[in-house]
Amino acid sequence: MGRGRAQGSARGGRVKALRRLGFAALSVAGFLLIWKAVVVVGGYPEYILPAPEVVLARAVEAIQNGTLQPHLAATLQESVMGFTAGMAIAVLVGILLAKSLTAERVLSPYLVAAQAIPILALAPLLDIWFGGGLTARIVICALIVFFPIAIATMVGIRGTDPLLVEMARANGARPDQVTRLLELPSALPVLFGGLRVGVTLAVIGAVVAEWTGASVGLGVLINIADQGLFDTPLMFVALGTLALLGLTFYGVVLLAERALVPR
Amino acid sequence: MRMRPRLPLLVLAGAVVLAACTPTSSASPSSTGQPSASSSNAGELRPIRLLLSYRPDVQFAPFYVAQQDGYFERAGLDVTIEHADGGDLIRLVADGQADFGVADATDVMVARTSGIPVQYVSTLYQLFPVAVIGPTGSVPTDPAALAGKRIGTPGPYGSSWVALLALLDAGGLTADDVKVREYPQYNQVDGLLNGDVDLITGFRNNEPLRLEAAGMQTDQLTVDAIAPLPGPGLIVGDDLQAADPELVTAFASAIAQAQEAVIADPETGLQAALVEVPTIAEDVETARAVLLATVDLWAADVSPGIGWIDPDLWATGYRTMVKLGFIDGSVPVEEMYSAALRFD
Repeated sequence: MGRGRAQGSARGGRVKALRRLGFAALSVAGFLLIWKAVVVVGGYPEYILPAPEVVLARAVEAIQNGTLQPHLAATLQESVMGFTAGMAIAVLVGILLAKSLTAERVLSPYLVAAQAIPILALAPLLDIWFGGGLTARIVICALIVFFPIAIATMVGIRGTDPLLVEMARANGARPDQVTRLLELPSALPVLFGGLRVGVTLAVIGAVVAEWTGASVGLGVLINIADQGLFDTPLMFVALGTLALLGLTFYGVVLLAERALVPR
Repeated sequence: MRMRPRLPLLVLAGAVVLAACTPTSSASPSSTGQPSASSSNAGELRPIRLLLSYRPDVQFAPFYVAQQDGYFERAGLDVTIEHADGGDLIRLVADGQADFGVADATDVMVARTSGIPVQYVSTLYQLFPVAVIGPTGSVPTDPAALAGKRIGTPGPYGSSWVALLALLDAGGLTADDVKVREYPQYNQVDGLLNGDVDLITGFRNNEPLRLEAAGMQTDQLTVDAIAPLPGPGLIVGDDLQAADPELVTAFASAIAQAQEAVIADPETGLQAALVEVPTIAEDVETARAVLLATVDLWAADVSPGIGWIDPDLWATGYRTMVKLGFIDGSVPVEEMYSAALRFD
């Protein structure tokens, strides 16, 4: 009986997964159809809006001749390192903001003001200050990732049930134990909301950093395709690769969330 | 200007409306290639969308003069000036979403080879405006001596990259023989002042003046004597060129006349630019210096007339572009330009 229920549950899970996959496939097919329809109805030439099959063929060519891979690898490295650095600092600052009203009063105006400054305007200076290269690009990426994660951490920690905090203290928990064992786990659902936003911003951050100064990366490939080769399909290949990268990162965070946050 | 409707019904409606609204007038060339002063429908000006690269700047003074002093109007044109990035500019002109544009000849070669139906119809800069620039005494006169130098450039695209590779090639070098640092935000001047690079690529009518203003005297290594390339000029889409060559001639002629007026009296160009770009007033002396340097690059005295397209220069530049791998030579050079003005 128990085994039967377990088998039924597993079958139900598979059906759900298949249904989800089916919806995703339908969504992609619908998007491609609309894209194709816009090209046909609008009569757009390839250099304005290439059809999906043209972009796909160009993607295959770019992979086969090795054009795409080094650019993808560079952007992948920058966004992963930028996200990791930005997340680590953001979580620490978020904890500080949540714990200290003084810190929040002193730092918040700067954090919010920094968000109002377009990073693209600041990026060339950051590139010079940090001597260009990978370090500068990681800093730019981390800065873009930082804000949503820091705020999510602060809000998440402040949302911890005060009765539980009180109880932990009453049972002799040290402040670091309260944070580590109670507040951070309790903040995870909100924190992951910030991570989901941050991880997609990491891809944008890497591209912005590459537009500030880089010889390789998907942002560079976009510029080469757009301004150097006038190869619009290749530009779409780079854009599509960025979208796939963002989706992959988002999926990884989602998986981590499912593993770490109890439902 | 052709607008692309989004839906079939709009295509039909748009076609009807456009057919009803399309002016039948355009200036016709005189025997010297100059347009007549009026359109065939008296008082009716043909709307034209012109795309300039970069941003509003004193270097575009002939366009401002043509607009403010009635050169366009006398050619029967009502011109709206806008700005766009190089890649977008060429695509929009090719697609007919803009009527005319200003673009690098080297970009036209690449775009045309990539199947973008655009052509170069009149030269604005007889000299190639990009050079390798550095502090006085640090710029080699022999391109072979560029080996090992740290060079700042916007990126592996555009006229700066073409000029750099052409110079390196002339010296028997490639990009691998120098240390290239990219400045996609065109802030390579900061890199040079900061000591991050030894030399930069830049526009001869811009970067040296900015460096001078920052206290750095400069030398230049230009491509003209070493690896000649055709400079920026007016571009038009194939469709407009085929449908209304008289319009193209009228427009190019109006610009040529305005350019001639600015050469004769640069102050006229400066005043027109001040009207169009009021921020120039904050540093009129620099703007004047930029304009004078720009007039030098137009180099009207070395050509038979303003706007002339030099076939030999195009042939040489084309060969260089093929050799450097920017184009594959599949589109003949003669298909890349079509002179709008005649010089009998």
